[in-house]
Amino acid sequence: MGVRFRPKLMSEVSFSSGSFCPGSNRRGVSNPPSFFDAADALANGEEIPLGAQGSGVLLTADGGRYTGTLFGAKTHGEGELVFTTGMMGYQESLTDPSFAGQVLTFTYPLIGNYGIHKGASESAAVWPRGVVVRHAMSQPDHRFSIGTVDELLRSHGVPGIENIDTRSITKRVRELGTVLCVFGPVEDEAMLNARLKVLVSPDLEDLVDEVSISDPVVLNPGALDDLDRPLPRLGALDCGIKYNILRNLCEHFEVVWCPPETQFSMLSEQYEIDALFCSNGPGDPAHPGKATAARDTLAAAVRAGMPVMGICLGHQLMGLASGLQTYKMRYGHRGANQPVVDLVTGTVAITSQNHGFAVADPEAGMLAAHPSGASSPLGENLHGAEVRVRYINANDRTVEGLDIVDHPSFTVQFHPEACPGPHDAAPLFGRFRSIVDEHLGGGF
Amino acid sequence: MPRRDDLKTIMVLGSGPIKIGQAAEFDFSGSQAVQALREDGYEVILVNSNPATIQNDPEMADIIYIEPLIPDTIRRIMEIEQPCALLAGMGGQTALNIASELAHDGSLERLGVELIGSDLDAIDKAEDRELFNQVCESIGLPISEAIACNSMDQVLAAADEIGSWPILIRPAFTLGGLGGGTAWDLGQLVEIATLGLRNSRISQVLIEESILGWQELEYEVMRDGADNATIVCTMENIDPMGVHTGESTVVAPLQSFSDADHQILRDQALRLIRALNIKGGCNVQFAFNQFTGETRVIEVNPRVSRSSALASKATGYPIARLAAKIAVGYTLDELPNPITGDGTTAAFEPTLDYCVVKIPRWPFDKFRTADRTLGTSMKSTGEVMAIGRNFEEAFLKAWASLEQGCAHPRPLTRADESEGDGMAERALSELPDSTLVEWCRVATDRRMGALIEAFRRSWSVEKVHEITRITRWFLYRFENIAQTERAITNTHATPAELTREQLKAWKSLGFSDAHIADALAGFPAAGPKSLQPGFNEEAVMKRRHSLGLHPRYRMVDSCAAEFAAKTPYYYSTYEIDDDVGVDLLPNLEERTKERLVTVGSGPIRIGQGIEFDYGCVHAVKAIRAAGKDAVLINNNPETVSTDFDTSDRLYFEPLTLEYVSEVLLREQAQGILLQFGGQTAINLALPLNERLPLLKSKGLDLSMMGTSCDAIDEASDRERFEAFAKRIGLKMPRGATGTSSDDVRAAVEQIGFPVLIRPSYVLGGRGMEILANQQQVDAYLSEAYLAPDKPLLVDEYLGHATEIDVDAAADGEDVLVGAIMEHLEEAGIHSGDSTCFIPAQNIPESMLNRIEEQTKAIGIGLKIKGCYNIQFAIQGDKLYTLEVNPRSSRTVPFVAKATGLPMARIAANITIGIPLSQQTIPQRTSGQVCVKAPVFPFIKLRGLDPAPGPEMKSTGEVYGSDVSADVAYLKARIATEVPVASEGGAYLTVRNDDKENLVPIAQNLVDLGFTVYATPGTCDVLRSHNIPATVAYRIADKNHPDALDLMREGKVSFIVNVPTVSGGAVRDGNMMRRLAVELNIPFVTTLRGASMEVAAMKVALAGPLEPRRLTVHY
Repeated sequence: MGVRFRPKLMSEVSFSSGSFCPGSNRRGVSNPPSFFDAADALANGEEIPLGAQGSGVLLTADGGRYTGTLFGAKTHGEGELVFTTGMMGYQESLTDPSFAGQVLTFTYPLIGNYGIHKGASESAAVWPRGVVVRHAMSQPDHRFSIGTVDELLRSHGVPGIENIDTRSITKRVRELGTVLCVFGPVEDEAMLNARLKVLVSPDLEDLVDEVSISDPVVLNPGALDDLDRPLPRLGALDCGIKYNILRNLCEHFEVVWCPPETQFSMLSEQYEIDALFCSNGPGDPAHPGKATAARDTLAAAVRAGMPVMGICLGHQLMGLASGLQTYKMRYGHRGANQPVVDLVTGTVAITSQNHGFAVADPEAGMLAAHPSGASSPLGENLHGAEVRVRYINANDRTVEGLDIVDHPSFTVQFHPEACPGPHDAAPLFGRFRSIVDEHLGGGF
Repeated sequence: MPRRDDLKTIMVLGSGPIKIGQAAEFDFSGSQAVQALREDGYEVILVNSNPATIQNDPEMADIIYIEPLIPDTIRRIMEIEQPCALLAGMGGQTALNIASELAHDGSLERLGVELIGSDLDAIDKAEDRELFNQVCESIGLPISEAIACNSMDQVLAAADEIGSWPILIRPAFTLGGLGGGTAWDLGQLVEIATLGLRNSRISQVLIEESILGWQELEYEVMRDGADNATIVCTMENIDPMGVHTGESTVVAPLQSFSDADHQILRDQALRLIRALNIKGGCNVQFAFNQFTGETRVIEVNPRVSRSSALASKATGYPIARLAAKIAVGYTLDELPNPITGDGTTAAFEPTLDYCVVKIPRWPFDKFRTADRTLGTSMKSTGEVMAIGRNFEEAFLKAWASLEQGCAHPRPLTRADESEGDGMAERALSELPDSTLVEWCRVATDRRMGALIEAFRRSWSVEKVHEITRITRWFLYRFENIAQTERAITNTHATPAELTREQLKAWKSLGFSDAHIADALAGFPAAGPKSLQPGFNEEAVMKRRHSLGLHPRYRMVDSCAAEFAAKTPYYYSTYEIDDDVGVDLLPNLEERTKERLVTVGSGPIRIGQGIEFDYGCVHAVKAIRAAGKDAVLINNNPETVSTDFDTSDRLYFEPLTLEYVSEVLLREQAQGILLQFGGQTAINLALPLNERLPLLKSKGLDLSMMGTSCDAIDEASDRERFEAFAKRIGLKMPRGATGTSSDDVRAAVEQIGFPVLIRPSYVLGGRGMEILANQQQVDAYLSEAYLAPDKPLLVDEYLGHATEIDVDAAADGEDVLVGAIMEHLEEAGIHSGDSTCFIPAQNIPESMLNRIEEQTKAIGIGLKIKGCYNIQFAIQGDKLYTLEVNPRSSRTVPFVAKATGLPMARIAANITIGIPLSQQTIPQRTSGQVCVKAPVFPFIKLRGLDPAPGPEMKSTGEVYGSDVSADVAYLKARIATEVPVASEGGAYLTVRNDDKENLVPIAQNLVDLGFTVYATPGTCDVLRSHNIPATVAYRIADKNHPDALDLMREGKVSFIVNVPTVSGGAVRDGNMMRRLAVELNIPFVTTLRGASMEVAAMKVALAGPLEPRRLTVHY
């Protein structure tokens, strides 16, 4: 024990030949590449390191102290303390790269009820730097269960702490905004305190770099539609992309899965893409690292008149590219019940969300902002097109989506791919495909 | 879309009397809806036949009718009041059926009344099985193979087509699945389907593939007119398919489902509510095969339901309120979430950070002969809900809330098989394994206890799963309860030696102090009450307190603390050591108002119904009106009292001494009101009083408001009350007490037959019987539970006496007599089961004055502060006092509606220190007759003798009023939903000494055109008075035609059957009454009842009844 958590890099994840194979089941695709799913270690019966046990303590930067019981990997947890209110879908959340840099608290008290399922992860790894729960359930029951949350965390080197009053944490974060925290064995408390004093916000790290792939790969080469016509080709910028986004995209496009820093010229010339997508991802959208590189690619695509869709971080990057500011939210939106109003149709969709930053509303400004006041500097519109707020959150009225006026492009803050969460917004992938088809001249 | 301005007046239908399958949840939903509509400026006309509800209190709606809920009456009220719209989705199946009928027959269109909420098409599609299946198929939802049948031939053909047993039979258009069941062979199929066809309003049953053993779950869905739809709550039944969801132990949210599973079901639920075009709340039931992931849509309720009441209380999301808003045009996103207030809208899916368990409350503790098997039709009368941070905690708290036997699970012994002689000895030997297997396998009220017992015996989860098909996830949790019990026992410690860690761990799993004490002692056969000081519940509590371990209180906020909620709605849990920043009350110093706690009445059960919730709501209102903080503790999710905005702070907790004490400590309450929550609350008075010094040492300065404990004891303790009665000159029937069989036999001998026998301190006359001979005494004693602390009371039975109920309030100086009610039935029939009249119809003025005098003398003499109820019996010119209940009574709401005197409110005011002289008391009204009539559950509970007796059997009541007693009675009778005969045959069988008195009744029946059938002896008497009568043999004669033959042939439409002696089931009468229930033939068991019934028939034949506004006479 007493080992500090070291962030994992996507490049270190054993990656190829796993159970994630989004290009399978497509007409015309032979030998699609497959990738590691975070649960594969359990599914393959790999040996799992012994776990942490005994009393633990969780300390927050604002002076909070909670005692609990350790589980998961034998290492300290540290990072930005956030909470998600989804009652199910813990495996999807744990493997969502957008949680990189964070310590994830589940507000639902019984986590692990139905175990861990093969192929149900959203990436190849578990990304939070610590997990906080009320009860880590050790006797899961489900026809697909292959292990426990504890085992998943251990197999990915992620520590957990249970028997914590998670409601108290939630309320603290709600009132004070997200804070930094550390946790580990009670006997390490002095060390943990010292660490907490020097801990800096993970927003300063290039988290997108940590969670994204390094080389482009075509997921479903040669994919055809039902009439044996080739699917339009899409470049998917990976800022920490969730597997279910790739699955959804593969339904409609031939998908080139690319690193975030991939230049637009390379995508259009070398890969001859018809449309561009930018994924979700962790951290501050205004980070000068790979997020900014992705932002520039997005701007170039809009300038070129290419259809663009963005989700979550992809949406925030589009906001920045459009000259809007982004800012840190008090405690963000993380859960499966966020109501979003479509200002065009007036209807409400219940959406899955996971973000701590938002795009400032051109009129209402930075709603539900973090007390730190962190925001991006004022920027310029990099693509020259007008943007319009299309979706807002029904609760706090924050921006939930943008339409690029007179362009075949839109972005959303929420997650139409769900996983976890409701499918209300799922038609957006089909909508994007229609936009692309229309742009390409009514299909081909 | 904003509210509709074209609607001015809206009619809302209630659900009628409390009955099995339709209980207080519709008082709750109706009340919420009415409030929601009125705050938007609509004029609301409410119709309900139930006098005990809050929703039809004069101040609740603009115009109130307490009239029978039948289409004719509703149509007539529409003609009178000309409402713009009808909201039918708040009154359960009763209201929905009426709306459907009035829409189909064109009445709504003719009268220009718009059906708001879900429209007729939606109702039809959801209710008609065939249409429903078509809808499901059209949107690709899997339904179980099912064939709608309208005749027995079709049923048989359908069974052939399905081809595999068992087969499920489900009637269309009934409530609580009445008449449904699972058939394992042709015989059962015919039997169940016959009933089902008869009970279905459209004579339709559904013959289905059996999906027994699948998991059953429910989704509560809301949708508005703009097609926004959300899932409010998901619920998972512990009992697999085959047990009606109302009979299942239910958990919210889903526990054993993955997000992927849930999202598939969520999509299906939303597709369905959209395809049905439902506007408002609706409930979708699914079956789920946990081995294959297959789903089936079971059914949809296109209205708020019992489940939506549960969902509302489980999530904090007020479904009925929002459904009412949607009905008048609002969309979800423009309605604020009332829980979290500004900043959130109702277009929101609640997320929970706790686990909720609901357990139904069954009447088998009272009806020991009834069949306890749970199936597809309902038998429970009510339910409890509990909240915890884990399943074990929620489950054990729910168990404690049931008030059924012990407040925690205990090892099962042979004493659990039946009560009666030898119980104490049988408690020493454990329940045989073979019996335990049966108790696990067959769903009954005993099943959950049996599961825990199985794990006490170290049965494996796999084995129990094999037996029960219950999802393993739950079995692991029950196993954990059993293992924790064992761990407690194995500490071999005394309470004083327990460590903080041990206690904290056990408390956080929901173990009560009593449970821990019991386990430490190894669950002694004599029960937890036998534990000595130092080893008992109190010792555990003291240890716990000395370690500073108190529950923490968490808020039910619909959002898992994501937003700051406004609802002061809490549950207790044990988690952190310090009060760091979670759901605190306003600081004590900021709480300048006096804090008064009202204890609710727990689950609806026979003998303690919605009337007590009514009292609690009024008490809370009175407290708030007096500018004090009203805190309420209750555990019934169906009620108005547990609505989030009824009180200043609501605690959803078991009503046991431990949980109530902790709330008192947390609140630093200054007063507690125990007289409104029925026997549940009043039973806490003495134990709480004893514990007060201990609580005082923790800083609690509490006074018991209202009638003192000493006075409660004086009224309830037989010897003390007899002494009191003697002192002030009351006459009582002779009586004696026995704690052993010999004692009881001696007492009977001394008093002489017939005697009235009952256990002391009971609810609803449980175990009360009239015994006429030694044989019956022996039989009674063989089943009775006798112990030194549970004596039996033996009383002289007053034959042919008129029983009187009085509700009054006293403040120590003055007494307000609310009403003197005359029972139609003679003394000996439980007052809760009697039909009673305000004002008294046959009592001379002088006697009424004596009753009033004695009522006052009792109120002053016992130093009652608040309300009390007295039962008197009049025999000749003698007035006997039968009993005094120093609490709010079952009849208080009836009195309030009949006289305009809000007795509960007046009493609550006295309790909190406002004497009668300082209250504005409305003038009591007169000039009309009001009748309260009972509603019985006989159709639902087989094996129960359908005859009123000294033990209460009714579940609810209805009300009728008019200027004439006959008309008032007829209205009430119609409202009971048992038909009033108008033609055909009348079968008369009475005791020998009643035969002469039968003559005028028979004459009247003949005059009305009835054919009179009677047993040979009765025929002789009737014929001697020139009344034509046809002989029907007694069943025991084994000669035909007997009564059963005539009934089956449809020749009998009315029965007068005065049992020879009430008590031990007299087989003939029982069989006949049973058949009458099954065939829905009205019967009366008293001569006075028969006369009244005949009078009512005359009125009914004279022409249609005219409904009257409740307040017409105020």
